[in-house]
Amino acid sequence: MSYVELKDIRVSYDNKTDILKDLNLSIEKGELVSLLGPSGCGKTTTLRVIAGLIQPNDGEFLVDRHNLTKVPVHKREFGMVFQSYALFPHLTIKENVAFGLKLRKEKKSVIDQKVKDILAITGLEELGDRYPKQLSGGQRQRVALARALVIEPKLLLLDEPLSNLDAKLRIAMRIEIKRIQSQLGITSVFVTHDQEECFSISDKVAVMNKGVIEQFDTPEEIYKNPKTEFVARFIGFENFFDLTLIEKGKYKAVDGTIFLSTRQWEEEKKTGTIRPDDIEIVSEAGDANTVSGTIKVRTFLGKSYQYEVETSIGTLLVNEVDDVIYQVGDTITLSIPSHKLIIV
Amino acid sequence: MRKNIGLKSFAWLVFAFLLIPLLIIVITSFGTNSTIQFPIKGFTFNWYGKVFQNESFMDSFVLSLEVAFIGTLAALIIGVPAAYSLARHKVFGRNWIKSFFLSPTIVPGLVVGYAVYQFVVIQFQFPILQGLMLGHFLICLPYVIRVVGSTIEQLDFSIEEVSWTLGCTKLQTFFKIVIPNITSGIFASFMLAFINSFNNIPVSQFLSGPGVTMLPTSLMNYIEYNYDPSVSALSVVLMLGTIVLMFIIEKTLGLASIS
Amino acid sequence: MTQRRLPYIILAPGMILLILFLVLPLISIIFPTFFDGGFTFANYISFFKDEYNLGIFWRTLRVSLIATLVCVLLGVPTAYYISQSPKKWRGLLMSITLFPLLTNSVVRSFAWITILGQGGIINTALMNFGIISKPLTLLYTEFSIIIGSVYLFLPLMVITLVGILENIDSEMMEAAETLGANRFIAFMKVILPLSVPGIIVGSILVFTGSMTAYTTPQLLGGNRNIMLATFLYQNATALGNWKGASVIALIMIAATVIVMKLFDWVAKRMDKRGEASA
Ligand SMILES: Nc1ncnc2c1ncn2[C@@H]1O[C@H](COP(=O)(O)OP(=O)(O)OP(=O)(O)O)[C@@H](O)[C@H]1O
Ligand SMILES: [Mg+2]
Repeated sequence: MSYVELKDIRVSYDNKTDILKDLNLSIEKGELVSLLGPSGCGKTTTLRVIAGLIQPNDGEFLVDRHNLTKVPVHKREFGMVFQSYALFPHLTIKENVAFGLKLRKEKKSVIDQKVKDILAITGLEELGDRYPKQLSGGQRQRVALARALVIEPKLLLLDEPLSNLDAKLRIAMRIEIKRIQSQLGITSVFVTHDQEECFSISDKVAVMNKGVIEQFDTPEEIYKNPKTEFVARFIGFENFFDLTLIEKGKYKAVDGTIFLSTRQWEEEKKTGTIRPDDIEIVSEAGDANTVSGTIKVRTFLGKSYQYEVETSIGTLLVNEVDDVIYQVGDTITLSIPSHKLIIV
Repeated sequence: MRKNIGLKSFAWLVFAFLLIPLLIIVITSFGTNSTIQFPIKGFTFNWYGKVFQNESFMDSFVLSLEVAFIGTLAALIIGVPAAYSLARHKVFGRNWIKSFFLSPTIVPGLVVGYAVYQFVVIQFQFPILQGLMLGHFLICLPYVIRVVGSTIEQLDFSIEEVSWTLGCTKLQTFFKIVIPNITSGIFASFMLAFINSFNNIPVSQFLSGPGVTMLPTSLMNYIEYNYDPSVSALSVVLMLGTIVLMFIIEKTLGLASIS
Repeated sequence: MTQRRLPYIILAPGMILLILFLVLPLISIIFPTFFDGGFTFANYISFFKDEYNLGIFWRTLRVSLIATLVCVLLGVPTAYYISQSPKKWRGLLMSITLFPLLTNSVVRSFAWITILGQGGIINTALMNFGIISKPLTLLYTEFSIIIGSVYLFLPLMVITLVGILENIDSEMMEAAETLGANRFIAFMKVILPLSVPGIIVGSILVFTGSMTAYTTPQLLGGNRNIMLATFLYQNATALGNWKGASVIALIMIAATVIVMKLFDWVAKRMDKRGEASA
């Protein structure tokens, strides 16, 4: 049994539509798991169930074999970093950070020491006596993190903690969060809808769609082997075409072209997909995995050109960094390498 | 999904405290007894008839409407341009002038009425009715300055600038661009000022005389010597008026805009 | 040239009217209270030397203070409840609160006469149940003025507070809870301190309102429980003591201004969120 277990969690706000549908998730001790998915898919809801801010309609939530489903928020001892940070504006940074410790009735000297330590870890030593309004976005974010960490939570919950920051700061802060999290070995759940952020920080990723987890895997696995069309689309596969199965690893497209795939094989899956980056433009057609078409649209992307090519298996997007620049109307031949063709 | 029974019960007790006294008035207005009773014995609409036959109530009702209307209108005519000027123009001592316009709220209503009575009516021999209207104008003005002022401050200044670049004069812009965009503020301040002026007693307390008595004052005078359900009946009529006004406000602006 | 004069032309009518019909009248009533042959504070000194007057003065402050405290105690939880209720309910709850506020104050005071009077609802009920044999004196007491004032001004307090509480991020409460505070503690340590500005604004309204109210003490206070406003009116009409009335007028204005400044000062002291030094 894993350290954290969500079992068949169902949540409905209005008792009509289910926002979470029998959601299952297992997290090992010390892991950082991300919930990734489009807006409205239920990431925040999942996190709030874990925090105890929402009672699930059905299902169980366990940490370390203890059933916490009915335990109120304030007894769970989880640290949570809110998207808005939710710093208490009437308290100084030190008082904000000490808030949870004071409630635990710890000795003043202990509190002072712990606050000092965590402010050092989060790089906030100098700012302890300021008020939240007097801090920059990144500093506030670190205070929120410090406040959640200082209570030595069994579980750290982060709801899009970086979404209010500018691009540069986001990158710096996610490295910081990862560093502190692994340094302290805190089991964490991180919510985001930014895949790059998610891949760079997580041990494991749960891709969510409409209240269910579509795939739960390591970032590499998700990037290379999306299991469902939804996951594939969400992480940047843009070309999808129908296939019929001939035998294991061998398929036929609508126009009769044969496609081979060396990737994972499951009988019931019949849609081929590939990233625009992975399609190659070749000079002549081969026996299999090639298809010809006419360029309809050319878009300059900076590092490459993107061609929208109309082929006999459907419209395909191709990114080409080549020096050769094709014109709209040109006919070109595309190769879809068998080791890059995914079947979902 | 997360409830708090204690808080809920407390709040509903407070709501009960706010509503039950008024509800009691409604009930007592139907009693047949010649003094107010609760619970009532019998049921009659007679007291409502009495109210509408009572000339002093009816006269003062009409007077109250007139005075509140004129006071509010005057406050709008003077106040809206002033609020605009305070919001948009570079005015020397702006905050002082604004506080000055709001100052009738600092002076207790009874004192306003008293001062106006002493100075305007006694010393300068104005008719008492004009004094009364002046007093109500004074208490209406701050509502206009405050509500319309904040509406104008929230209005994007660039739409006026665009209008100037398109060839409108400043005066035309004020009427064609500014006014249409602050109608909700004007309406809200009109409602607020009107209700408060209509309900106000202290200001009118000194400024009344033969034939010049506002409705709340005449109701108050009546209560001093009578304790019959016609008071309840008149109260209910006034409450119905309040409900109608609240309904109008809710439908046009939303009640949130005046609170 | 005209550009610079324009605002003053627009502002002039209002200012002139205010000067003519508010400032000058006020000066004309206040000025004589300082002159008795020469300049003197005698009128004010003798006002505050008189036991009877002092009694009225302190009663006014006492009643206003108690009414304000009660309004805070009843208003804060109620406003919090409103601010936390779902949007579709909030409008209804606000209407329940607004309705008494927009209802005439004579009507509102009269309601309490029917409840508290000798033959009023409470006494009738208590006697019917045999709990008391003689009616209690509830009406025409300080108690009845306080109830009336609370009834008059509680909606104002609630509405002011709802405005503030709605703007406090609900995640603030949740953050406190995840840190180990139960809801009561979270409310006391986070929501309450954050609503202090609203409580102060509301308290100013309630306190100055009760202090200068005329209708409620007139109807619910009777002749033995006079407050400043009713005393002013008595002086001016029944007693014909115009100077005395003017003295009270200035005392009421001064008390209002002082209370407002005092509360503002408290608010500034308590609101240490670093905006000033940011
Ligand atoms: N309090 C609520 N009452 C009713 N519906 C809600 C409530 N909170 C969220 N929902 C609905 O539940 C669904 C999931 O919401 P949730 O906040 O979990 O999404 P999310 O994945 O966090 O999205 P985002 O990336 O936009 O934050 C949404 O359709 C939302 O409209
Ligand atoms: Mg979310």
